[in-house]
Amino acid sequence: MATGFKHMFRTFGVVGLSAAIMVGCNSGGSDSASKETAEPSSKGAMESYSVGDTFKASEPIDLSIMYSDAPHYPIKEDWLLWKEIEERTNVKLDPTVIPTSDYEQKRSLLISSGDAPLVIPKTYPGQESAFVSSGAILPVSDYVDKMPHFMDKVKKWGLEGDLDTLRQEDGKFYVLPGMHEAVWPDYTLAVRTDLFEKHDIALPTTWDEFYESMKELKKHYPDVTPFSDRYTFNSTLNFAAPSFGTKAGWGFVNGLSYVPESDEFVYAAATPEYKELLTYFNKLVKEGLLDKESFTQDDDTAVQKFVTGKSFAIATNSQEIVSYRSKMDETIGEGKYSISKITVPGGPKGHLMAGSRLENGVMLSSAVKDHENFEAILQFIDWLYYSDEGQEFAKWGVEGVTYTKEDGVRKLADDVNYNGLNPAGTTDLRVDNGFSGGVFAYGGTTDLLHSMMAEEEIAFQNAMKETKTVVAPEPPIPYNEMDKEQVTLISTPLKDYVDSNTLKFILGSRDLSEFDAFVKELEGKRMNDYVEISNKAYQEYKKTQK
Amino acid sequence: MQESIQYKIFKVFNVSILLLIIFLTLYPFLNVVAQSFSSEAAISSGEVNLFPKGFNIDTYKTVVADSMFWINYKNTVVYTVVGTAISMVMTTMFAYALSKRRLVGRKALTVFAVFTMFFNGGLIPNYVLINSLGMGNTMWAIVIPGAISIYNMLIMKSFFENMPEELEEAAAIDGLSQYGILLKIVLPLSKAVMATMILFYAVAHWNSWFPAFLYLDQKEMFPVTIYLRNMIAGATGTAAAGATSADNLTQLAANIKSVTMVLTILPILTIYPFVQKHFVNGVMLGSIK
Repeated sequence: MATGFKHMFRTFGVVGLSAAIMVGCNSGGSDSASKETAEPSSKGAMESYSVGDTFKASEPIDLSIMYSDAPHYPIKEDWLLWKEIEERTNVKLDPTVIPTSDYEQKRSLLISSGDAPLVIPKTYPGQESAFVSSGAILPVSDYVDKMPHFMDKVKKWGLEGDLDTLRQEDGKFYVLPGMHEAVWPDYTLAVRTDLFEKHDIALPTTWDEFYESMKELKKHYPDVTPFSDRYTFNSTLNFAAPSFGTKAGWGFVNGLSYVPESDEFVYAAATPEYKELLTYFNKLVKEGLLDKESFTQDDDTAVQKFVTGKSFAIATNSQEIVSYRSKMDETIGEGKYSISKITVPGGPKGHLMAGSRLENGVMLSSAVKDHENFEAILQFIDWLYYSDEGQEFAKWGVEGVTYTKEDGVRKLADDVNYNGLNPAGTTDLRVDNGFSGGVFAYGGTTDLLHSMMAEEEIAFQNAMKETKTVVAPEPPIPYNEMDKEQVTLISTPLKDYVDSNTLKFILGSRDLSEFDAFVKELEGKRMNDYVEISNKAYQEYKKTQK
Repeated sequence: MQESIQYKIFKVFNVSILLLIIFLTLYPFLNVVAQSFSSEAAISSGEVNLFPKGFNIDTYKTVVADSMFWINYKNTVVYTVVGTAISMVMTTMFAYALSKRRLVGRKALTVFAVFTMFFNGGLIPNYVLINSLGMGNTMWAIVIPGAISIYNMLIMKSFFENMPEELEEAAAIDGLSQYGILLKIVLPLSKAVMATMILFYAVAHWNSWFPAFLYLDQKEMFPVTIYLRNMIAGATGTAAAGATSADNLTQLAANIKSVTMVLTILPILTIYPFVQKHFVNGVMLGSIK
């Protein structure tokens, strides 16, 4: 996400010029745009299409779509996925294949040059704002009434607040996000549970207990620095911050933190809560419990330390822990170790978990509005990405062919394997059939999400759900064109400064007693202007919503 | 001849420093080769340095069995051959014409060419242009827009300028046309610069991925560099970090990456040493008048 935003700013530079020419100034666009909205063309659409229906176009439709081609399951023309989509819905997808490595760059190029395919998936919330002012992207919120499944899920899961976070200055949103029934925590720490057991240390449930347990381990292994982290520590800061009542690491993003009591935003890095977070990790470093290299080493180095027994705790997600295990089977030996994800520890503010129920989703090119099948395309997107049937199809494939379902429990067909779920399978659900890929399969009910998880992961999910309270989503801050530029100019150096000082404070190369001086320095970098512009933009937005 | 003590000491230092530099440049490369032959476990525990550990060639077999790898590999060969041919013809013609002092508008043409070394229309206009010329999604988008490298053209031009004019005059008197002079007299005498240019262009085409990434939308048309890039950068890159979609985060084994790297650089690696001697000669050509 952090890099996503950086990219957004970069793209903004590219798009900026063309945008300026094309629209000049689009403030107050909300009323002019709604006038332009002509009756959408409904050729090929279903006359009655509502929740529970399977979409089928009344005439064949060719639909161009951007496709992010991941190296570990390269796109194939003969995938069952394509065939089945065409058979069920009468829509033939025509993918523009872009390697995942450069998907974002090519996406902005195609959109800016006006050559974009109609459907643009794999767009993370926030990335769409760069394209809004150019008018190249459809303000899709004007048309969601044609998408019954989308509406149904928003209502059923109470996602209105989450959707609000996507709204732009004109009060509309431009991306159809992937939606989850519940917040899905994935990142946490993995620890060597065998050592915890051996030395009779309880698994930590709070950060203070984590500190104690690391201290205990250090006692038994004085040569080892027990906690050596990866993701340059950004992941750990990210999941630790909510329980300290702040934002940091990957979750820092624009640095603004919403305070419900006063209904305004503050700059997270200048708060006492942020200081508390720094103080905690500084303590770990000072006592030799947290590896100083955690902040600079690359991921492979950190993993290497963990899998060879040179460290005992490291950040992980559900996929990575599997890969740690397979490496440790080789390096330490199967059965001679055990590792596990721990429930994210709680902090001074209790057991909190931040996270969005939205993930990457679909943008539509504004050209789609003039397409003769416009309404049908909306219905198709609605079915594929938002209906229970479509989501299950994208994830599991075709019932009776790639999987079977009994009493609501899905099972892969005998000859199909996916991520080691059915090692006997000879074909791969994703590589050979195209299902469960990143372009089509995401979001959905917790039941569907858990259906492909290992038991260990489900246990982690349940533990998280039981102990954690989810932090409510923050309201959006849709800037106008002028402010957007200002904000970019101020916030980028500000964030860089926070990043480098966060590191200094934690490593102890800058003493925490200087925190007040640090806040003064942030003010010198126009932090207050930034917060003020943002609060103003937020207040203006609130007016449009009434 | 007796060497002085100082000179001997200098030589010892010189050689050892050069050896160190050789090691520093060679090591990363040998490391990749060693990794490509090692087991994944040895790589992930950081045991592979200069020599393979846990010898395995299964990965080679797997990568070689991927048909897309070979399709892309073939594309790279085709783009390189066709691209180099087009580049050579265009560059030679341009450079030869510009090397003639009697050419009308020579100065303007040179300025026009050099201008493009410093300024260009930018990414999006270029993209729009290529597509409206109907070259999008064809091989021509890869081989034509960059056909003339101005740097190479200038080297060639100064080489031609150094050719004795009397030679060409004599040929003209003997009845050769202007084209005949170029083909029968000038080119045969320019083998060194030609070899250098071919090498320059071929290596550039072999390594290039950006135009292909820009103008091509079909996997079957990608050069192998994109295949490689996606493999290495795709699984670890950009949006993957911090995203909830676990799908992005499956990393390809280090082993597979190194095998692909080795296979991709192999042809250039085998040809390079043999053409290398022309390389140095060629660049120096025309540096002294």
